[in-house]
Amino acid sequence: MDPGFRREAKKEEAPPEAPFATVIAVGGRQLLAAVNPASAAKGIAAGMPLADALSFLPGLLTRPAELAEDAAALRRLAEWCGRYSPWTAPDGADGIKIETTGSAHLWGGEAGLAADLSGRLARQGIAHRVAIADTLGAAWAVARFAASEAEEGACKLPVKTGKTGGIATYLVVAPGETRAALAPLPIAALRLDPAIVEGLHRVGLRRVGEALAMPRDALARRFGNAVARRLDQALDDLPEPLSPLGEVPTRRVRLSLPEPIADPADLARAAERLTADLVARLEREGMGARRLDLGFHRVDGRVEHIRIGTARPSRDPAHLAKLLTGKLDTIDPGPGIEDVILAAFAVEPLAAEQIENSLPLANSPHPNPPPQAGEGARLERRRSPSPSPASGGGPGWGLGLAPLFDRIGAKLGFDALARLEPRASHIPERASIAAPIETACRERAGTIPAPQKPPRPVRLFAPPEPVEAFWVLPDDPPFRFTWRRRTHRIAQADGPERIAEEWWRPDGQLIGGAGSPDAIRDYYRVEDLSGRRFWLFRAGLPGDPPPRWFVHGIFA
Amino acid sequence: MSSATSLVALQDRIRRIERPNALRCGVLPFRAPAIDRALPGGGLALGALHEILGTGVDEEDGAAAAGFAAGIAGRMGDGIVLWCLKQRDLHGPGLAAHGLDPARIVVVKTARDDDILWALEEGLRAPGIAAVVGEVGRLPMIAGRRLQLAAERSGVTALVLRRWRNGVEAAAERARPSAALTRWRVAAIPSLSSSEPGIGTPRWRVELLRCRGAESAEWTVEVADATGLVSLSAELGDRSAAPRRVASEPWRRAG
Repeated sequence: MDPGFRREAKKEEAPPEAPFATVIAVGGRQLLAAVNPASAAKGIAAGMPLADALSFLPGLLTRPAELAEDAAALRRLAEWCGRYSPWTAPDGADGIKIETTGSAHLWGGEAGLAADLSGRLARQGIAHRVAIADTLGAAWAVARFAASEAEEGACKLPVKTGKTGGIATYLVVAPGETRAALAPLPIAALRLDPAIVEGLHRVGLRRVGEALAMPRDALARRFGNAVARRLDQALDDLPEPLSPLGEVPTRRVRLSLPEPIADPADLARAAERLTADLVARLEREGMGARRLDLGFHRVDGRVEHIRIGTARPSRDPAHLAKLLTGKLDTIDPGPGIEDVILAAFAVEPLAAEQIENSLPLANSPHPNPPPQAGEGARLERRRSPSPSPASGGGPGWGLGLAPLFDRIGAKLGFDALARLEPRASHIPERASIAAPIETACRERAGTIPAPQKPPRPVRLFAPPEPVEAFWVLPDDPPFRFTWRRRTHRIAQADGPERIAEEWWRPDGQLIGGAGSPDAIRDYYRVEDLSGRRFWLFRAGLPGDPPPRWFVHGIFA
Repeated sequence: MSSATSLVALQDRIRRIERPNALRCGVLPFRAPAIDRALPGGGLALGALHEILGTGVDEEDGAAAAGFAAGIAGRMGDGIVLWCLKQRDLHGPGLAAHGLDPARIVVVKTARDDDILWALEEGLRAPGIAAVVGEVGRLPMIAGRRLQLAAERSGVTALVLRRWRNGVEAAAERARPSAALTRWRVAAIPSLSSSEPGIGTPRWRVELLRCRGAESAEWTVEVADATGLVSLSAELGDRSAAPRRVASEPWRRAG
């Protein structure tokens, strides 16, 4: 049984008693975009021309409709409805759909959930109608069309209704009673095109029950597949999945507070409690979290988020709580926070023994204990022999460093961290690249550069900086060059070392593309009169156009 | 107690007072006797903050300073070296030539000096880090003291390379007192010319500008090789090869 959920909201801020409408210009005419219940009671409806509405109700207050803001507000509200279930999404321009399977029991059943939602929406001043049914189609129909019927008392529906503030604002269709609930509703409740609705009216089908009684192939011949599809969706013969607004979390823990809180210390305590709950759950499953989202649902319908990620899966409650509470000052609690939801979006298997190495024990000696230095004692850490690639890599990538990288990543962003990974390429800017830290955690590809290659500079400029160089013969290194508005006279030079594009690789081209004059570089290691050593190169062969010179790096 | 033993005990006490606190963690000798003689303890103090400056144009690029730092960091144990910088111009193969295996380096790139100082402090407190290197422009005294204390507590050495983009900042920062244990200045000087054409053995002029418990000195050395060691440049007959002392030998300023 998949109860769907349908809610209709009209967002206005004017006092609810005065008749109020928003106006939108459509094709040169001014139409009413939305009306509040007070004006609806006086007979004004959305879609009416403004002139007609004003003639009915001269005291009507109007404002231009701001569709973009309304859409944004609807999204925010849909996000806030995430406190009931992570599967929420805006539906059209004035509705929200929520999948309540599996979460209704937390409020004592569907009626309880509907009552809770209705009450909170009424507190936020949003006019609404809530409907819960087996399918999305049925809930949509009941929310839009059954409410007015129930008020008028025109037909008997097998729905449980509830009132908030004296208006019937929520309806719950009992499971299995979908067909009976839909039958008396008008045919427009099937979410069909107005043209098809018009056509159905012309053949005398005005209620959903009458359409249900007709043979399907006759309807399909006359009106296409849409009618049959909508009927099947409404009756749960055709599934209609709900794509949620955000990412669906894999694990979720929730803390509902009896009274709203705003104090940062309280928020931190709530975060710590939720982290402990989530960690307990992850421990039972043997998983560790990689991406977490802590959502604070405010009383006024907004949600504030803190998102953290870790370099390695972790279920250390202290570490995760510290990463979360470190960003607490970005949260604006507003009038108060009533729900805190911690969602894990990415979890990975984490074996129990991996954790023990990462926690520093309280009594163990520090990994780099300061030795007792007596008189004249010297200490030197001896270098271990170079690791061979076959043994899988270099110095220990201690798991104790993962918390450090998590902290740095949380504050500065994970792309601030990188490793210098060697690559088998002659082109200097590709011989050593900055690889992100997470991938480097796993594999240790590449080899340590061979020391007998021609020397490479300590600093490499990306991109190489152009210089103005003067040379005697075209094949010679320059005797003088100007860089960053300073002139350097060259005393010694080594070279040339020719580096050309790597034609055997798909991305082996240098600047300028294949076959261009820049595809060949002649590198020179030059030393100026003061002793500074530069790595210059000439791009292109001597000829016309004249080759250009660049400085690519500086030697130590 | 006899007078001889009391004299020895007294000398021991004086030496302990003289030697700064930071030498508890030991020293890393340069293996160049002239340099080691000038440093208290016979080498670069571990578990402390050291500053390295460049000269002239190198203040912008920090190449010689980076090579010098690589030679030191490469010889410090086996763990990860955390290198914090503001622009991505560090080239791994170049560092390998000076004794630091680039596979050991984790680079942290950020735009602000404050973030670099924060990352250095976090690195000093984490287990498994062999050394931290940071390239900053502004190093306030308070931040320097914090780094020094964090280094002392954990035994990890911090090397701060000073890189400045404009002359105004440079002038202000050079004059500012520093909390570092030692302050060095490294400049590239013309290489040792040999009979073959081209660049000979590259050399540095290494100056110890300031050191607690020692006096300043300068040396001409050959750049750190693949083992990370510098060696005094053996140009016979050239006065500049011998370490210059500002004052005479037997007296060492305490503190």
